[in-house]
Amino acid sequence: MNIVVAMKEIPDIQQIRIRNRKPVTDDVPRTLGNIDKNALEAAVQIKEKTDSQVIVVGVGSSEVEDTFKEALAAGGDEARLVVWDGELESSQSAQLLAALITKIDSVGLILFGEGSGDNYSSQVGSRVAQILGLPQVGYVNRIEIEGSTARVTRSLEDCEQDLEVALPAVIMVSSDINTARIPSVTQILKAGKKPKEVLAANELGVAIPAAQVETISNLAPEMERRQISVKTISDLVKALADEGFGGGR
Amino acid sequence: MDFNLSKEEILIQKMARDYAEQAILPVADQIEKDNRVPDDIMAGLAELDLFGMTVPEEFGGAGAGYVPYVLAMEQIARVSSGPAMIISAHNLGLGALVNFGTDEQKAKFVPQAAKGEHIASFAFTEPGTGSDPKQLTTSAVRGGDHFVLNGTKRFITNASYKGPLVLFAIEAESGQPTAFVVEKHCPGYSVSKPWSKLGWHGGDLVDIYLKDVQVPVENVLGKIGDGYPILQYGIAFGKIGMNSVALGTTLAAFELAVKYAKEKTHRGQPIAKFQAIQMKVAEIAGIYESSRWLAYRLGFLANNTKNYREFAKEAALAKWVIARNAQEATRISMDVHGSYGLMEDYEITRIYRDAAMGPQVEGVIHMQQVILAGDILR
Amino acid sequence: MAGTLIFSENPALVLELATAALEMDSGPVYALVINNGPQAEKLSNHGLAVLSVDEPGMSSFDTAGCAQAVAQTAGQKDLSMVLLSSDRRGKELAGRVAEAMHAGCLTDVKGFSLEGGQLAFTRNSLGGATLATQAIKTPAQVVAVSPRAFAPIAPTATGSIEAVKINVPASAVKLVETRSKAGDTVDLQAAERLVVVGQGVEDQSDLALVEQVAQALKAEIGCSKPVATDKKWYPEERIIGLSGKICKPALALILGVSGQVQFTVGVREAQVIVSVNNDENAFMNKIADYVLVADLKEALPELVRQLG
Ligand SMILES: Cc1cc2nc3c(=O)[nH]c(=O)nc-3n(C[C@H](O)[C@H](O)[C@H](O)COP(=O)(O)OP(=O)(O)OC[C@H]3O[C@@H](n4cnc5c(N)ncnc54)[C@H](O)[C@@H]3O)c2cc1C
Ligand SMILES: Cc1cc2nc3c(=O)[nH]c(=O)nc-3n(C[C@H](O)[C@H](O)[C@H](O)COP(=O)(O)OP(=O)(O)OC[C@H]3O[C@@H](n4cnc5c(N)ncnc54)[C@H](O)[C@@H]3O)c2cc1C
Repeated sequence: MNIVVAMKEIPDIQQIRIRNRKPVTDDVPRTLGNIDKNALEAAVQIKEKTDSQVIVVGVGSSEVEDTFKEALAAGGDEARLVVWDGELESSQSAQLLAALITKIDSVGLILFGEGSGDNYSSQVGSRVAQILGLPQVGYVNRIEIEGSTARVTRSLEDCEQDLEVALPAVIMVSSDINTARIPSVTQILKAGKKPKEVLAANELGVAIPAAQVETISNLAPEMERRQISVKTISDLVKALADEGFGGGR
Repeated sequence: MDFNLSKEEILIQKMARDYAEQAILPVADQIEKDNRVPDDIMAGLAELDLFGMTVPEEFGGAGAGYVPYVLAMEQIARVSSGPAMIISAHNLGLGALVNFGTDEQKAKFVPQAAKGEHIASFAFTEPGTGSDPKQLTTSAVRGGDHFVLNGTKRFITNASYKGPLVLFAIEAESGQPTAFVVEKHCPGYSVSKPWSKLGWHGGDLVDIYLKDVQVPVENVLGKIGDGYPILQYGIAFGKIGMNSVALGTTLAAFELAVKYAKEKTHRGQPIAKFQAIQMKVAEIAGIYESSRWLAYRLGFLANNTKNYREFAKEAALAKWVIARNAQEATRISMDVHGSYGLMEDYEITRIYRDAAMGPQVEGVIHMQQVILAGDILR
Repeated sequence: MAGTLIFSENPALVLELATAALEMDSGPVYALVINNGPQAEKLSNHGLAVLSVDEPGMSSFDTAGCAQAVAQTAGQKDLSMVLLSSDRRGKELAGRVAEAMHAGCLTDVKGFSLEGGQLAFTRNSLGGATLATQAIKTPAQVVAVSPRAFAPIAPTATGSIEAVKINVPASAVKLVETRSKAGDTVDLQAAERLVVVGQGVEDQSDLALVEQVAQALKAEIGCSKPVATDKKWYPEERIIGLSGKICKPALALILGVSGQVQFTVGVREAQVIVSVNNDENAFMNKIADYVLVADLKEALPELVRQLG
């Protein structure tokens, strides 16, 4: 079977600087979301136990082919990519990814991270599942494949659910499912030689809807804190009491 | 002229940085205290192919060449110099084997070392000499199909680990330095207790005692009596690693200075607001950049050189500049830290000690300048 | 705008969504309840207009089925705004409901305002580094609202229950087992006061002291991510921040947390923040109201003594 892993090309958020409350993303190198790397790792671990191929898919900038070398180094067998210049909103990403995935044969599993590294809206996996008419499970921290079913654990705020889901299915993993491996030198050097298909959006044969969400502003929040330095524990306890947080059992 | 790193080079750099931060950083203090790199770190480095980067694929290496090697080593040394020193000396020994070994010798000794299962060494220095091959005293006497080696080698990196050792001795008949491949821990081979050194903690450094060590004739590297070029050029390639370690130290000195300048406040403002501190930061930034491009370029030359002599000159130049730069950068970074920087709680103390090592190792700075001037004024 | 449908499996969050819906003032508000008679009863007693689906063929753990139920109900009642809770269940549902309704969608929404006559929602972006204000352009809108962003609605006597019929295909997901998470029932987001353990609490044995501080302050204990995921001193339910709970307590007493943005998004809306850290330059201190620079090893016993 083919295991598809959808990964998002994002600016390396560690390197984004804030100037005048605005994020500066120019010249910030592109990378892949962290939780997406956990999804890839989950796929590679399944591949190591079953006879399957790991196909990474993504939509990104003109550099997307380069960005995805990281995924191919970390265990992806093949990449199918779409180049899209400019902003992409969740509903649009979902349409493009669904169209890409439709072109892949015998897909057993489609893996996503629980949220992307930059926007974290957690919508795209669910939207793709709906478009493709597939069952889905989110916040998964365990996947075992048994024939044509996946046994998964969904981790919610107050409980864990062990579920059985018929394949093909969309699964969104959480970061605690595994520790993503660091690719070796050899794997990095071989990544560029793995099969890749890079398409322009208009080659997919789907109509991409207009953006459904408009960003009015995106600013660093203003934080006005008093930063009063207290010297001793008794000063602290007194300050707490003055604020109405007295101690005492 | 293209100064851009390829995506592969960027990924290798990132891989080494990730590994250094995720796996080495948590044990960096322990490495400093125990003067030993934990086995799981050695295994982790091996798994990432960091012991075989420069070895061609046909001999079990990654075939990445020297530029990615410099990039990766810089990132490792930035976090802890011990593991980087081990890889550097390993590459020195392994490089000599790859460059000067016969196909049989390469097939026999290189693959396991390229996988990090064996760790290579290079032994020239003796109690009586560290720079002058004419003063070697270790002897090699032919006895049938083997040579018998006797002597003491001083300050040999990685000599405690199992693996091949490229060793220089005076061959009795020719009276000339000759290179041999010795399997470490063979009968007659023993090592001293590890030296406690100022910096580069974790890097394995011992003396070797050779007592009637038998080495088969086919383990002569190059020709009998012709060890000098192997020494000269082997060490030239080894300098790529030394430079990378010093570069990682310089990078750390820079980052620590910037971090401290922003953190530390004086009268309510970060000291970074003061021009005196700003100038120091600018100075280290300039030093780092100059070292960086020299180190990267030497890696590039190592991949492309046809002329070993020319390369040795370039290596001598890069080595003394980068080693000295690392010391200069850590000194300035220490100035930014003030007294706090002298306390072991601050990482700059480790970096400062590490920076002291480069100028005195694998050919002291003066020797590099002698080599370079000799070539310029030839 | 014809009206609002609100849905969450968690009844406490339904009451918060009701407040949000009323404040948005976009027509009548209905609360959907799926296969849960007692909950329908409870919510209607609280004053909500409940639409109750009773469909033995579908199950709450099946996101595809739930999304159908929400979308079909909204369609039948001609409700263009859907409010879901931005807990894990709600977030998983949001994208699917939105796709089914051809709606634009926002998750982790913390508030809204009117910008030029249209609703604009605020949510964190770029790992919490920025606060984005966004509007949905489609007629139908799906919004997942963060827990605790709105107060629960006050009870009234106007509740009702109406049965709704929907048509849901067979589920491809089967439940094998549900386990409560390791005896930890704490609700950090509801806590008025929080004591937060960071990696600056260096020894596990000091957690007993933290416990005493929390008791004295009547606070719940939360922690930074590595304290739960790496050290495993607390269950992951106690993580505060981007991947954990976003809290708005009156008091957050932060013990040894460096203050990376992924953490601070979880407490930055506390009314009063106190940071105890041995590093005077810790970023945490810059967003604190009170800062004590001290080694927790010494500070904790003293704090216990003085609060006790
Ligand atoms: C951490 C570490 C790792 C090492 N690893 C290895 C290893 O793996 N293999 C190995 O063989 N060795 C190794 N060494 C040894 C090291 O390479 C030598 O010690 C070094 O080359 C210097 O030799 P020396 O100490 O004998 O100094 P010397 O050569 O005696 O130099 C002492 C001083 O005399 C001056 N000097 C000497 N000759 C000249 C000259 N011709 N012209 C001008 N000035 C001169 C130098 O400037 C220097 O200041 C290692 C040493 C250390 C500390
Ligand atoms: C995608 C993503 C999501 C994340 N989500 C979260 C999240 O939800 N929540 C979260 O917490 N983190 C999250 N993180 C991790 C976050 O970036 C930080 O690494 C983490 O918050 C650090 O935890 P800490 O402050 O406890 O530890 P550290 O960063 O190690 O800080 C420890 C602090 O304690 C101080 N200290 C040390 N010793 C003492 C002492 N003896 N006395 C007093 N003070 C002392 C130090 O000065 C330092 O400030 C996330 C990271 C990523 C990449």
